[in-house]
Amino acid sequence: MKPVQLFCWHFMAYPYLSKDFDEQYGSGWVTVPNSLWDNAKARGLYQEYIDQLAYADELKFDGMVLNEHHQNIYGLMPSPNIIASALTQRTSRGKIVVLGNLLPLHMNPMRVAEEYAMLDQMSNGRLIAGFAPGGGPETFNYDVPSANTREKFWEAADLIVRAWTEDGPFAHEGRYFPLRYVNLWPKPLQKPFPPVWIPGSRSPSTLVEVAKRGYCYFLSSRTHGGETHKAQQEFAAVLERHGDRYHPFRFGILMSAYVSETDRLAREECEEGVWYFLKNCLKGHLRREGRQLTFGPGVPYIPAPAWKEYLKGYKPGRKLLGDVENWEELDASQSIIVGSPETVYRRIWKLIEQAKVGNLLIQFHIGNMPAELARKSMKIFAEKVAPRLREDSLKLFQQQFSGINVEHAAETLH
Amino acid sequence: MSGRVLEVNQRKVWLLEDGDGMPLLYLHGFADVHSVKESWLPFHEQLTPRAHLIAPAHPGCAQTDENKDIDVIEDVVFHYLEVLDALDLRKFDLVGSCVGGWIAAEIAVRHPGKIRKLVLIGATGLFVERALIGDVFMMAQPERGSSYAGLRNMLFANAEHPQALEFFPDGMGVLEDELRRYQMLRFGSRIGFKPPYFYNRSLKNRLHRISAPTLVIWGQQDNMVPRAHGETYARSIPNAQPLKVIEQAGHSAPVEMPEVTAQLVLDFLSQ
Repeated sequence: MKPVQLFCWHFMAYPYLSKDFDEQYGSGWVTVPNSLWDNAKARGLYQEYIDQLAYADELKFDGMVLNEHHQNIYGLMPSPNIIASALTQRTSRGKIVVLGNLLPLHMNPMRVAEEYAMLDQMSNGRLIAGFAPGGGPETFNYDVPSANTREKFWEAADLIVRAWTEDGPFAHEGRYFPLRYVNLWPKPLQKPFPPVWIPGSRSPSTLVEVAKRGYCYFLSSRTHGGETHKAQQEFAAVLERHGDRYHPFRFGILMSAYVSETDRLAREECEEGVWYFLKNCLKGHLRREGRQLTFGPGVPYIPAPAWKEYLKGYKPGRKLLGDVENWEELDASQSIIVGSPETVYRRIWKLIEQAKVGNLLIQFHIGNMPAELARKSMKIFAEKVAPRLREDSLKLFQQQFSGINVEHAAETLH
Repeated sequence: MSGRVLEVNQRKVWLLEDGDGMPLLYLHGFADVHSVKESWLPFHEQLTPRAHLIAPAHPGCAQTDENKDIDVIEDVVFHYLEVLDALDLRKFDLVGSCVGGWIAAEIAVRHPGKIRKLVLIGATGLFVERALIGDVFMMAQPERGSSYAGLRNMLFANAEHPQALEFFPDGMGVLEDELRRYQMLRFGSRIGFKPPYFYNRSLKNRLHRISAPTLVIWGQQDNMVPRAHGETYARSIPNAQPLKVIEQAGHSAPVEMPEVTAQLVLDFLSQ
């Protein structure tokens, strides 16, 4: 058994938008004009962000998390593998979690298999390989037709794992990616293959597909509260139905945190970055204002019967995370946890206890937060919050999940 | 009016049928029967006294089975060739609106002999330089959480037209209408999301094969398919009349100006 795994997630937001961005522009995604990019300000930005992730490794976080986004100010990583490559050389201990490469956007999934294998070799077996289907914005950016996205995604994911594990050359006779000679050079270092994580937002079909393959499920929604707990229960039930058993390291969640000496100081220090994140970075994604691109009838990837079920519970114009109007409302959403070490410990511990979650993927740099504040928060977290979470979670997991091999879930199934 | 299920190659095709006269196959678009509404619109009701109107729902629309193997327009054309066989339609009038117009043109270039007369209304299908077809999928994503004004504006000359508001209301409309809209977008995304965006570059050089007398109708203010597309169709189809433009109509002329549009169609078919 091991304690809760604490990861530092960096989104690499574009932090130089003017204060009137929200008034002036309809979206932070897809159509946000790239004339706003300012080289004079942005020079050295990637270096700073990479340095922050290397600092997480120094602070003994269990890993660093990257993900793929295109044409937006929310995350400047069209290719997370490039940042991951830099991290293989800048860090030495933590996992490198790419969560993930957006498979339907790649013309040939073998490119992902190859790059992940390279990263696994270059990092001495530290890669956690995420596969994601991409959401609405990516659908528009890359003109990915939606109706068959899920099928295409799973064909690509299965092909990649097969390329990692089977000796080639072999022919892949797929519907979407037929290939005559699959023969991967290099192979990944980890055996049987690097851990695979799949993000989802509680769609039953994704839970089933993840369970079938013995992968780790990552809840990608940004609002927690009861949802985390429910998602964990749903996943555990699906695992049982597939003859498998839930344990904390089959499941991960995303959260944002800011820690400082006191509750008051924490709020004062992070508030500007948090509002920048909510109002600018989430505009077009998790806000009503502007055009919401992430989900909806224009990206019709859900089969019609499932859409009908969704419509039955649909509340037009409902508030999304970025629509919160004040700090109290934000606080209640439990999406961004802000406070003293004691406060942050208590709130995260409650989530771990309730949702029995073993992988916490925590965003420290939020919006346009100054680098020194992000580092300060990471340091206080690592010194004052992480040790308690590790100690307490180890006890809890030992009690509740004794006798389960948490390291090789996938291996036993393949 | 009667609706019925046609079995085609082990798939179900839902169609509406009514009226007497020459068989007229109608292929629907986005603001239309099957894609929003369950039954005929006033436009169709004007046609049925003079024609035997048959309107199948596209694959995945209304009660027609979805076909996951549809990737390109060619797959849709083959679907309809099978529908024609099942209906034993050998010579018929063909009317298509929007995406339905595209499908109609693709059928006509392949089997010109089957078509007695052809009518294209606001048809997609062509690539016309500097006249991009509008992004209906982007517009189908609501603004401010619940506004579909952008979608209405794309599909109608006036976003506040009563029919526009009825077909694409803000917030949530009738569940069954919402579902049909979604199904139409899902069908459309199979052939039109990825470039070629609702067009087939090869189509233009094939239009000379169409032998049937052809009428091309365009709304004066089509915000989805620029009028240059209508002009190209009318110019490239050998037996086509000059482009007919309907005033006070946008992309959905049959919905916005049903009498005028239906009269144009009837006059043309009876010439």
